[in-house]
Formats: sequence, structure tokens, C-alpha cells
Amino acid sequence: MSAHFIKESDFKAFVSALIKAKPVYGPTAKRSKFVFSRLESPEQLRLDYDVTLLPPKKLFFPTSQDLVRFDGDKFEACVQPEEKILFGVHFYDVKALDMTDLLFREKNPDWNYLAHRECTTLVASSIQAVAPRAFWGSVGREVQPKGHDAFLTKIQGGFVYEPRTPKGEALLKHGAFGKASDEQVAEARKANDDIKKRCPQELKKPSASIARKVRAAFDDETLWDKLAEDCFSCGSCNTVCPTCYCFDVQDVWNVDQKSGARTRTWDACLTREFAEVSLGAGAHENFRESRGERFRHRIMRKAVYLNEKLGGPACVGCGRCSSACTSDIADPVRVIEQIVKA
Amino acid sequence: MAKPKVAFFDFACCEGCQIEFTNYGEPAFLELIKHVDVVEFREAMSEKTKDPIDIAFIEGSFTREGDRARLEEIRKRAKIVIAYGQCATTAGINALKNHTADYRKEVYGKDAGMPHLDSQKAQPISAVIKVDYNAFGCPVNKVEVLQIVSHLLHGKEPVIPDYPVCVECKRRETICRYEEGDHCMGQTARAGCGAPCPADGIPCEACRGFVSDANQAALKKALIQKAGFSEARAEGKSRMFTANQRGDAK
Ligand code: SF4
Ligand code: SF4
Repeated sequence: MSAHFIKESDFKAFVSALIKAKPVYGPTAKRSKFVFSRLESPEQLRLDYDVTLLPPKKLFFPTSQDLVRFDGDKFEACVQPEEKILFGVHFYDVKALDMTDLLFREKNPDWNYLAHRECTTLVASSIQAVAPRAFWGSVGREVQPKGHDAFLTKIQGGFVYEPRTPKGEALLKHGAFGKASDEQVAEARKANDDIKKRCPQELKKPSASIARKVRAAFDDETLWDKLAEDCFSCGSCNTVCPTCYCFDVQDVWNVDQKSGARTRTWDACLTREFAEVSLGAGAHENFRESRGERFRHRIMRKAVYLNEKLGGPACVGCGRCSSACTSDIADPVRVIEQIVKA
Repeated sequence: MAKPKVAFFDFACCEGCQIEFTNYGEPAFLELIKHVDVVEFREAMSEKTKDPIDIAFIEGSFTREGDRARLEEIRKRAKIVIAYGQCATTAGINALKNHTADYRKEVYGKDAGMPHLDSQKAQPISAVIKVDYNAFGCPVNKVEVLQIVSHLLHGKEPVIPDYPVCVECKRRETICRYEEGDHCMGQTARAGCGAPCPADGIPCEACRGFVSDANQAALKKALIQKAGFSEARAEGKSRMFTANQRGDAK
């Protein structure tokens, strides 16, 4: 598909037209940080964001989502997908969505996620500001983002818009686009290549060799206990991660004690309760009892266990976990460095 | 359970958690009493009972030996005992007195000799009787209490969170207090409140107590290194609601 160009001065009108056509979600400012939220005006869109607090996954897999509503013996599925445009997703988050797309689709397809995902037009955008703990320039280089319908790159004087699917092409009619010149396309390429060299952190080794080293450290209990010494089991590293996808399901009754909802909520394997299972008769067992075991489990999931299925590590280098961890022990780059050194 | 009999009892506390029970608003409260038969509740009615009860909500801490017999008597005739509010679950704020010797003079001055001030260590009611479930919080979270009651009415185990408040802050995309140059205790505090304080820019004070495996050493470290607290302030910081759960509990 061919590349298009829109002038900076025409861009606002394009976003306004999109907002008129469909609900549009994009990065917006929340004090000093950014969050994906529904746009009411083009001025709210902050394509100069570095990273959002939560990843865009929340639009397809909300932090808390009613799956079924019941009333006595009657029940109905209540997922109501909304046709929408998700605008301004960085490539690392597109990679993460590719992973959750695959994980929610395999075996028993999870329509509660897929229904939301499939009615979305996803416009990726180039990175203009680099987050303080980002390492997307070096992690999982072998994996390319593919789940977007178009890619928008900021260049001199405007944006290059490259549709990847008919859905992405369909948005062209909302803006004053012209054909992008070869120079503009080359400038966009260069911008997207150059930014990858500007991450403050870097994984020095390729994914396969990291995976081997991390797996080999599995039995080094002293190492994991040491790495997790200051861990609060707070699950922040899970909750902010774009590739985490575990959830818990609970039934909640309304005060009439007859009607209610079955709700799923994000879960986190770093919390103590996560691996607690019932043995019946009120007894429990926790199969990841210590902080070290839980800490190890996350690193194994991000760097080793899923690599074969996903074609690369289940970490996209957004650095959200590194920033979210109050003890500053969750950073995958530093953890991997320490494992490799040990 | 056919319309279970519910009663409220209070020990050393401010009775704020009982007041919280009347705060559902009329429609919800009137709906709720279609499902439970409130037989004793001194914040809202004058009747008392000596009959067997299905669910006893016990508010307040155990601070006087003289209360032992009354607690045991309630336990004997109650099918389910719920420790109701932070004073009952961990002795909450009351447990601060466990660390002071001079509170009578400091607080009551010339009235320091009043006989009812003659109390011992503040303890949770579980120090005296078996507690089946805990409704944490200072005050309790009324939505959670409703869910505990619902689960019991349906013969299910109530689901009571034992993970830190960070989980709830992150879910609602609250900017971390530490990121804003402040301090917080949400990393060790029991969630279930929905994390309203940090969302309003106020540090979490752990009013639902600590989670069961709170990393107290790491909390102190974060308070010193990230929030710039002095050693002494970091050490004492969490005591307000967790005096009985800390490493130095009396
Ligand atoms: S590694 Fe950090 S963010 Fe993750 S659970 Fe432990 S303290 Fe929380
Ligand atoms: S593990 Fe951390 S850096 Fe990697 S994708 Fe998850 S949040 Fe981002």
C-alpha cells in the first residue's frame, strides 16, 4: 500500500473528522504522565508522549469487565464491543498487542477480548519522546509489530501515513492527504530507525542467549531471593505490563441478592495470593510461597517460557515495570544483567 | 440461609463502622433488610437480644479483661462472627496505646483516674474468640461489607483482598505518590478500598492494616531512600494503623 502525507496544518482537522466519525482513543496528558483515553477534541491528543501509565490493552481487556449479567436463572453475556479508532500507539505496544491477540485467540478464543479488538482500527505512531526506562530499541529485535492498520510518522512539516490494511486506508478520506514523496518516506524510515538508538537502556545480548542464561539460573535460589529481597509483592510490575494477561473471575450479587454480574479483573502473579489454591475443607496451599519464587516466575515468563510460542520474548521493553516498582528491582535490563553476571 | 438474624456488638471503638452500615442510602438499606433480620444494632434501634444469631458483627478491640465473658457469650450463640472494622480485626488505632505508658495523663489530665480508663493492651477480638471473617478498614468499606453479606447469604466464601493498595492505584492509573516526590505506604497496605486517597493526592496510611506478608524492611528503605525520611520517622511511620502487625508489636 502506498504512503501518504498530511501537512501539520491539516492534521487537527483530520483528527477532528475522525472524532466525528467514531470514538477515538489516544494518548492524553495526566499531569506529568500520559494515559490512553477517549478524545473529545484534537488538542487532547499528545503524540509527543513518552509512554502511558497503562498500556492500550485496557481498551480490549478492561481492568475490570463484566462478562455475564444474571438475574435469578436468566443470564446474558454483556460484552458490548464498540467500533472505535485507537490512535497513536507506539510500536512496542503494537508488539505487545500482537502477543495478547495470539494468547487470547489460541485454544479457546476469548471473545470478551477479541470482540473489542476486532472492531478497532489501530493507528500506530512514531515515537517522539523516549521514556526514562525504555529499552525497546534492543529487546526482541527479531519480532516486528504487525497488528496495526496504519503507521503514522512525524516528519518535517507533517506526517507520513502508511496504511497496512483496508481499515487503515479507509481513514484517508477523513483528511487532506496527498501522496508522500520518496524523500518523505525515506525521512520517515530514518526517524523510526534513529529513535531506536536513543533508548537510555539496552539489552546487550540477543533474546535466545538471554533465554538460555535465565533458564540456567532457575535453580539458583539464593540469586532469586536476593533479587526479590525488597519486593513488596505488590504486582505493580504485572499490572502495568502490556504483555501480562492473567485475570480473576468473581460473581458479585446486587443488593436484591438475585441479580448480579460475573466480573473479571486483572490479576498479578507477584501478589502472594495468586498461586494460592484450595485443598478443600478450608485448607490452602501456595505453590509459589516465597517472594523469590514469584519474582523468578515473572522473569521466566518475560524472558523464557513464551519465546517459542511468540517468536521472541514476552517483553517489549516499554520500561513501565521499571518505573512502577517502588523498590526499583523490577527492571528487566538490570535483572538480566545480574543473572548473566551471577 | 433463611433470612438470617444479624446483630452488631461494640467494644473499644468509636462506633464509626456501625454508622458506616447506615450509610447505604435508603433504597439499598431497605432492600438489604428484606434479606437479613437485624435483631440488635444500637446505632439504629433500641431492641436487644439474647437469642441465637446467624451473623454477629463485632466492632472494637479487646482492651479489658472484663469484656472476655461478653465476647465468649456472643461467640457461643453466633454461627458466624465477623470482626467488623480495623479496631476489631487488628486493634487498629487503639493498639497505639500499647506503645505508650502515659496516655492517661497526656489525654485526660485531671480525669486520669477514671475507672473505665483502666484498660490493658489493645488486641483484636481474635485474641479471645475465633473470628470467621474480617471486614477491614477504618472505617469499613461499606460496599465490601455488602459483598461479604451477599457471599454468606449464598453460601460462598467472602473474597477479602490480601494484596497491596498499589494494585488498585495502578489499575486506575493513579500517579504514584513517590513519583510526585511524596511518600506512601500503599506497598504494604491491604487493598480493598479502591485506593481513593492516592487518587486524591494523599499518601496511603494503611487504614486497612498491612497485608499478611508486608515487607516492612523494604517499606522503611523506600521511605528513607525515595521519600527522604529520617531513620526515626521511617521506622515509626506505619504505626498509626498497624501497631499490632509490626515487627515491634507488643
Ligand atoms: S518487583 Fe517491584 S513492582 Fe513487582 S511486585 Fe515486587 S515490589 Fe512490586
Ligand atoms: S516486562 Fe516491563 S519492560 Fe517488559 S513489557 Fe512488561 S512492563 Fe514493559
